[in-house]
Amino acid sequence: MAYNKKTGVVLAVLFTVFALLTAAFSLDLWGKPAPVKQLPLVNKELLKTETWRRSYADLVKDKEPLDDFDCYTCHEEGKKQVLKFDDKNQLVIPDEHKDVVMGHGTHGRNNNCFNCHIDDKLNELQTRDGRSLKFEESTQLCGSCHGPTLRDWEAGSHGRTSGYWNRALGPFKKQDCVNCHNPHSPKFPGRKPAPAPNHLRESSGGPEPTPIKD
Amino acid sequence: MDSQPNDTPTPAPPDMNRRGFLRTSAMFAAGAAALTASLKPLLQLKDFTSVDKFLQKYYKEMTPEDMEKVLKRIADDVERQYQVRPHVRDLKPMDGVEFVYALNLTRCIGCRKCVHACVKENNQSRSPEIQYIRVLKMPHGSLDVEKSEHNYSPEAVPEKGFFYMPVQCQQCRNPPCVKVCPVHATWQEKDGITVIDYDWCIGCRYCMAACPYGARHFNFTKPTIPADRLNPEMAYLGNRPRSMGVTEKCHFCVQRTRAGRYPACVEVCPAGARKFGNILDPESEVSKILSTKRVFIQLKEELGTSPRFFYYFDV
Repeated sequence: MAYNKKTGVVLAVLFTVFALLTAAFSLDLWGKPAPVKQLPLVNKELLKTETWRRSYADLVKDKEPLDDFDCYTCHEEGKKQVLKFDDKNQLVIPDEHKDVVMGHGTHGRNNNCFNCHIDDKLNELQTRDGRSLKFEESTQLCGSCHGPTLRDWEAGSHGRTSGYWNRALGPFKKQDCVNCHNPHSPKFPGRKPAPAPNHLRESSGGPEPTPIKD
Repeated sequence: MDSQPNDTPTPAPPDMNRRGFLRTSAMFAAGAAALTASLKPLLQLKDFTSVDKFLQKYYKEMTPEDMEKVLKRIADDVERQYQVRPHVRDLKPMDGVEFVYALNLTRCIGCRKCVHACVKENNQSRSPEIQYIRVLKMPHGSLDVEKSEHNYSPEAVPEKGFFYMPVQCQQCRNPPCVKVCPVHATWQEKDGITVIDYDWCIGCRYCMAACPYGARHFNFTKPTIPADRLNPEMAYLGNRPRSMGVTEKCHFCVQRTRAGRYPACVEVCPAGARKFGNILDPESEVSKILSTKRVFIQLKEELGTSPRFFYYFDV
């Protein structure tokens, strides 16, 4: 019975081929999926929600040392302070106050310390309409010139908010002007942005920039 | 193997029969190999769907007792995978609340802190990367997204001559993604948030094709989240870890906002450009912004999606 013998041989061969293929697939001999590239994790510093500055009001609330704000450790009480200007009418900042960078307003126009400070009462601030304010009330001082911004801040459309949008459920924190703006140079400093998005299947190197079309 | 077609008696001559047999056998072998190959990806499945998860009811049909069991199952799963015991809740929309988002284009400096705060809060996959927010850098004098760039990485932002427009889920009043979902795995809740039941999603990605904002993202692989970066405060419709093969998107941080808190992107924004609140409350920030500020109505408003996400300007 040659025919049946042949059938048996062919079936055996087929069975072997099938078994080998099964083994090959099971043992993952080829066709491996592309490995998932592990992307670097973002710096945790970027996840912080604190403001980059702390206001005087924050320091008072947290009972932190306020030595830096004690003007009369160095200055004589009751004595009127006099400003020095150079021949280009630019303010000369004394070495003791070198950390102060004057950049309030363009073209150095707002360069008189005593637009906001008081020349014979250094631990208080003054508005242009003559009110004296404590350091922790500086927001009102800013608002005496920047009226629309103060209005927006009070309405909640300017400035940072955190906590609970639903005031009935929990506390709510609104930042003061000086938590985000340095009063001596209020413009936001430029900063390095957080990493750009990666491509889904990143081949090599960083993300390719998409050119801006005209 | 006994039931090969050649075993059945046929009137055809023997040589024809043998050719037919060989052809059939070859086809059978190829077919069997192909079948094995097609089943091969099953070997890569590491965590099989549990019977409980498979038999789980539809979100809207679950009783509170069912939900309790499901939340426990999710917490157990998360603990097994990440060794962190999460606090999983099912938060329902509040009465008299409709959420609206307002973003100040004058203030945004393009620092992308919101992008990463969102990833952290909402347990998105780190590799491959899924981000709900895409910040577009646009040249001044244009609102054409075709001219935007999202891969910018200069030494310092903001750059002169450009403004930045973060885009995320716009929480449309008329959401195209909900209309196309064949299994109702995504729907709009009464507080305006379009949510996804990740256990009901079949991964067809119709919603991704329908969304004009590119807000929906697909888990092509199992998401990887380092255990030390897992946010254990979770919600069923919110930031619980997703599995492979489901879509996800911004849900206004339901785990925070339905508990009364601000979303993570609002709290982290260093410029105070992001504003969030209840539009039904006339005293809320967003109500005041929408009634007093210059609002560039909505992104792609001509599509009629009617987003709850508004972009506005100062001045």
